[in-house]
Amino acid sequence: MKKERVSVALATGALLPGALKILSRAGVARLSGAELGRQLLVDRPAVRVILVRPADVPAYVDHGAADLGIVGKDVLWESPGAHYELVDLRFGDCRLVLAVPASSKLAGPETWPPLLRVATKYPRTTASWFEAHGQSVEVVRLHGSVELAPQVGLVDGIVDLTASGRTLRENKLRIAAILGSSTARLIANQASLKTRTAAVQSLVGRLRAAAEQPARPRAAASPAAKQ
Amino acid sequence: MPGFRDLLPNEAEVLREAQESVLGEMRRWGYRHVITPMVESTEVLELGLGPEQRRRLFKFTDARGEVVALVSERTVPVARVVAGKLRSAPLPMRLCYAGPVLSTDEGRFQQRRETYQVGAELVGASGVVADAEVIALAARCLEATGLRRYQVDVGHSEFFQGIMDAVKLPADVKAGVRGALAARDFVALEELLSRTTLRSAEHELLLRFPALRGGAEILKAAGGLVRNHRSERALSELGRVLELLGTHGLGDVVSLDLGAIRDFDYYTGIIFEGYGPDLGRPVAQGGRYDGLLARFGRPAPATGFVVQLDLVWEMLTRAARPPELPRLDAAVAWDAAGLATALRLGSTLRLFGMRAVVDTQPRNHKEAVDWWRAVGAVNLVHCHTSTSTSWSAPGRRMLKLPPEQVAGRLAGSPA
Repeated sequence: MKKERVSVALATGALLPGALKILSRAGVARLSGAELGRQLLVDRPAVRVILVRPADVPAYVDHGAADLGIVGKDVLWESPGAHYELVDLRFGDCRLVLAVPASSKLAGPETWPPLLRVATKYPRTTASWFEAHGQSVEVVRLHGSVELAPQVGLVDGIVDLTASGRTLRENKLRIAAILGSSTARLIANQASLKTRTAAVQSLVGRLRAAAEQPARPRAAASPAAKQ
Repeated sequence: MPGFRDLLPNEAEVLREAQESVLGEMRRWGYRHVITPMVESTEVLELGLGPEQRRRLFKFTDARGEVVALVSERTVPVARVVAGKLRSAPLPMRLCYAGPVLSTDEGRFQQRRETYQVGAELVGASGVVADAEVIALAARCLEATGLRRYQVDVGHSEFFQGIMDAVKLPADVKAGVRGALAARDFVALEELLSRTTLRSAEHELLLRFPALRGGAEILKAAGGLVRNHRSERALSELGRVLELLGTHGLGDVVSLDLGAIRDFDYYTGIIFEGYGPDLGRPVAQGGRYDGLLARFGRPAPATGFVVQLDLVWEMLTRAARPPELPRLDAAVAWDAAGLATALRLGSTLRLFGMRAVVDTQPRNHKEAVDWWRAVGAVNLVHCHTSTSTSWSAPGRRMLKLPPEQVAGRLAGSPA
């Protein structure tokens, strides 16, 4: 049956190496980032892997163009949809934080002004987090170089994703609050789970097992993939 | 305007045909057609819609300052009618309806804010026979539209409610579990459940929700895991419905889905969804909602479903063999003395059930042929006088015949 091939959407960027590694560890497909980056769509006997921008992964999955997707929780915060969020794949750890200039007086919630101005690429998550904490906030939506905004006085602070905190330090910013922690998640199309249960569930099970087994040292991480 | 679109003749025709086929099937099962207004008072809608659905309504005030909304579904208006104008009509009552519904949310219907639904409601009948009737009707409606491959997943909202009763969790964690399930976020669910030390079979069931699918065998597997009355009763009802659907002749297309996640506050029993090939969303959905009618002052059990015509249309047009559109049977042209003949011939052809268009201006033969091509009809009949016409059709010589004979030949009867 042609449709027994399960399609998986992967996100470009920071999560891609981890996603390829887990596909390989789960014995699903061994792909190099270079090959996928060149072709964007690679077919293997049991899977079709497609590469799209992180923010587009939920769209591909929700519309059924991909059965499964591997995407950061941070993306799901911004675009909730009709997909099932099935597995925490336990890589791509990062935190969504409120960062303020190192020289700023702002620290914990008690020091925040009546109306806090923040710049972010995550307007939805930011607005709802501050609302839940009873803080009025003016969200300035930016598309890149968010770190610059507080330095030139556009905003009091920024809400952005950080893994190591290096970019923040380089821009003389410090963390004032943590809004949430994000890792890579496995999401699934609702109809795929129902109409092609066996094939999709078996792949989900293998990826779950691969996520739960502790990562092996790099040299040993080359299981002979069966596919 | 984003989310709204025009349906051009070909699309409109396929959609309309699908709607007629579904309504026709519903009528064959004894369902009577009702038409409710496009606009309802928000007071009425709020009796039946959850907070999320209310937020998505297109609302405005009418000239008297009353807040009204464009309907986003028609089960609630039908409940209003059953409890209102039809309150003295005996139950059970079978009603069906069709029409566009609107939502302000562009995401919900894949960027569409206006969609077309046909629905049926069986009000006043409780029990598995009524549940099975409505599911079987939904399946036959999908078939009636021409869909050849589809499947129906049947679940039960009480199976979940029973588990939630039985599972030993603090109230706030329970609320979190409901929230996580409603958002289909199993990572959050797992985390919530792992924080509590109490483990039970119910925990395991909740975590396996997306995988609880299958045939009758899954009832036994789940029955071994649940230890509460509500869930056990749900499983036994599902078993009966599955059996009845087999008798309806639908054994092959029905599966059980114990992990079906739907609006848990609204549905009170058997729920179901219909899926077509290669489409990421259900094309039909419905279930039992025994609580709604009471809110309108006429307590009664009820079950029903809607078919999403937009999605049916999408599947039909994407199928390997898209539905054939009926063609125009005849283009009737005329020259100076032929108008009366042309008008009479047009009437005759339509009387035979054919589609015929009569020209609005006289043409010579060459112009008539150009016009024929432009309108895309199968035949061209060029009327010259009351006794003489020229009949052209692809792949044959033009014939000069009297109009009665042309009509006879076109209608397929011997001239």
